[in-house]
Amino acid sequence: MKRLLVACLLFALAPPLAPPSEQSQKKEEVAKLSLKVGDKAPDFTLLSDQWKTVKLSDYHGKKNVFLAVYVLAFTGG
Amino acid sequence: MDSPAANAAFAKQIDIKFPLLSDMNRKMLTDYGILKKYDVKGDSYEWALRANIVIDKDGIIRHIEGGDSAVDPNTAVSVCTDLHKKSAAQ
Repeated sequence: MKRLLVACLLFALAPPLAPPSEQSQKKEEVAKLSLKVGDKAPDFTLLSDQWKTVKLSDYHGKKNVFLAVYVLAFTGG
Repeated sequence: MDSPAANAAFAKQIDIKFPLLSDMNRKMLTDYGILKKYDVKGDSYEWALRANIVIDKDGIIRHIEGGDSAVDPNTAVSVCTDLHKKSAAQ
């Protein structure tokens, strides 16, 4: 069966210095995201690990997309 | 920020079969409201929340969660499964 989902991982930011303190991070962790269910997903263009351009709109009408934003992937956290 | 080269090495290391994407200019993270600013002792830092987002074939967000709850992907996986079933039924 044709696979309908495309999973992507965004290896996000490593801070330039030490990570924020636990207290300040905790405060932001509960912050509301700006998007909600039912909103149109903003288009994006990102570079893959194969140095290929990946555009969200390329999947329009073809596949569902699962985005996982995973911070500090190398730490095992 | 992990570069495409760093992601390629990691993908090879754990044998990942899906794309690992780099948001080098942080635009996507900003547009999605995932990039947060923190003030630590007067200095400002940017840090991305852990997040899971499911977008359907029409480009509509069907699931979005950030922060501590996004560590567990089960809810997002459940939404994916439902979308898959709906697509298969059509």
